[in-house]
Amino acid sequence: MNLAKETMDWLDRRLGVRELMHQNLGGYLLPRNINIWYTMGAVLLAMFVLQFITGILLLIYYVPHTDKAFASVTMIMNEIPYGWLMRYLHVVGSNLIIVFLLAHMLSVLYMGSYKRPRELTWLSGFILFNLGLAFCLTGYLLPWSQLSFWATTVATDAAGAIPVVGDQIIAYLRGGPSVGEATLGRFFALHVMGLPMAFLLLVGFHLFCVRRIGISKPPFGDDYRPTDMPRSFHHDEHPNGVPFHPNYTIKDAAMVFFALALLVAITFFAPWLFIPPDALEPADPFFTPSDIKPEWYFLWAYQTLKIFPSELLGLASQGLAMGFLALLPFFDRGLERRPSNRPLFVTLYLLGILVFVGLSIWGHYS
Amino acid sequence: MSEMPASPTERRTFLGIILGAIGVVTAGGFGWSLFRFLSPVERGGDENQVRLERTLVAVGGAHFFSFQGRPAVVLQPQAGEYVALNAVCTHLGCIVKWVDETQEFLCPCHAGRFSPVGQVLGGPPPRALDTFPVTLDGDDIVIG
Repeated sequence: MNLAKETMDWLDRRLGVRELMHQNLGGYLLPRNINIWYTMGAVLLAMFVLQFITGILLLIYYVPHTDKAFASVTMIMNEIPYGWLMRYLHVVGSNLIIVFLLAHMLSVLYMGSYKRPRELTWLSGFILFNLGLAFCLTGYLLPWSQLSFWATTVATDAAGAIPVVGDQIIAYLRGGPSVGEATLGRFFALHVMGLPMAFLLLVGFHLFCVRRIGISKPPFGDDYRPTDMPRSFHHDEHPNGVPFHPNYTIKDAAMVFFALALLVAITFFAPWLFIPPDALEPADPFFTPSDIKPEWYFLWAYQTLKIFPSELLGLASQGLAMGFLALLPFFDRGLERRPSNRPLFVTLYLLGILVFVGLSIWGHYS
Repeated sequence: MSEMPASPTERRTFLGIILGAIGVVTAGGFGWSLFRFLSPVERGGDENQVRLERTLVAVGGAHFFSFQGRPAVVLQPQAGEYVALNAVCTHLGCIVKWVDETQEFLCPCHAGRFSPVGQVLGGPPPRALDTFPVTLDGDDIVIG
């Protein structure tokens, strides 16, 4: 008796798993010219799963109290076996997630995959990107170090530029006039419960959109032709494509392992890239360090606030840029997706990357 | 003699085996780290000896304290005579209470009763409370 076959038969009679597996694995065909950039979603899923695992493990020893948070993190690093590994994986992983989120977004932009009928896939992905940033911001405060405390003070202070209600928003974000116990409580609750729940719901919706609409064909090669938006719902099929499993799952797995190798390499050999000296001092609300800077992915926003004559203008320009990106598929309604036929878009795309990198470097050295 | 190049299927199978092997090694390494991370940690305060001031324990009274990570109790049944016991009931692990009026321990869970030296007086406990050695050092009681 073959136990695996018997189990499969038992499940198949009840849930039709063979048909389900065929539909979603061997019988699920992807475009023949699908490329490595399409693996970013799988890489991000794997990285987020690792964040959930290491986050739950850190929760075992972390104490969300201003008197004990720093000491509990120090204990995790110094006393708990492999505590340093779990924490570094969590810290480095959060930074790499932003890198892969950016890579995912940039590749989708470049290949025009955000265009209709995939507006909702793009919008949910863009909100997920912002949730990722919110995860980073709320998690940053939890170790209650000098860096955590003052970076959060500066970040929440930016909301004060909003006319009329700015001060109320700051107080609401912090749970009081300044960063303190109430801030730690609400950031902790958001980081470990609120954001993960919103994230899971949105990832579910994002994946549903991807699967329901179908994978977009990469806009490269001689046989690529732009297709019009059908008048009724249409699942994008690729009859002559390659099966998702094993052809693409192997590619996904290889890229996931590459990402994990990068994560482990930084964790073992250069974790200090993401843990500067101010992160090693406990928070002191009466002493502001001289060189407090936000994390690298917020440097562009930090520098934007500095170069505008008023903070309100800086905030407004950031809001405008983010709003434009979020709603891009609703503005950009052309059918053409081939980069070579979209010179204006490609120029703006490259300029956008240059501005982001330039502002970040400027912010780092300013 | 030139060999035939590997087919895409053969290459994919090879890559699958390599990735599987790396996955097993990675899972093993991470699993071991996880096991160690979750293992009980030896903490300070779990020393083999605890020193208490004599004034904490009145004649006929009891003082509860933590010894090697578990609740313990020291008594002074008669002036200058000290007894230290494990305060965990030998029945199902509840913490015994000292009852001044009857000069005995009572387990609040299933009414097990113990004498001041830990002997079972009644109820379901299967054996006496564990005792710890006690020595006197000036004004201190040293347990353990």
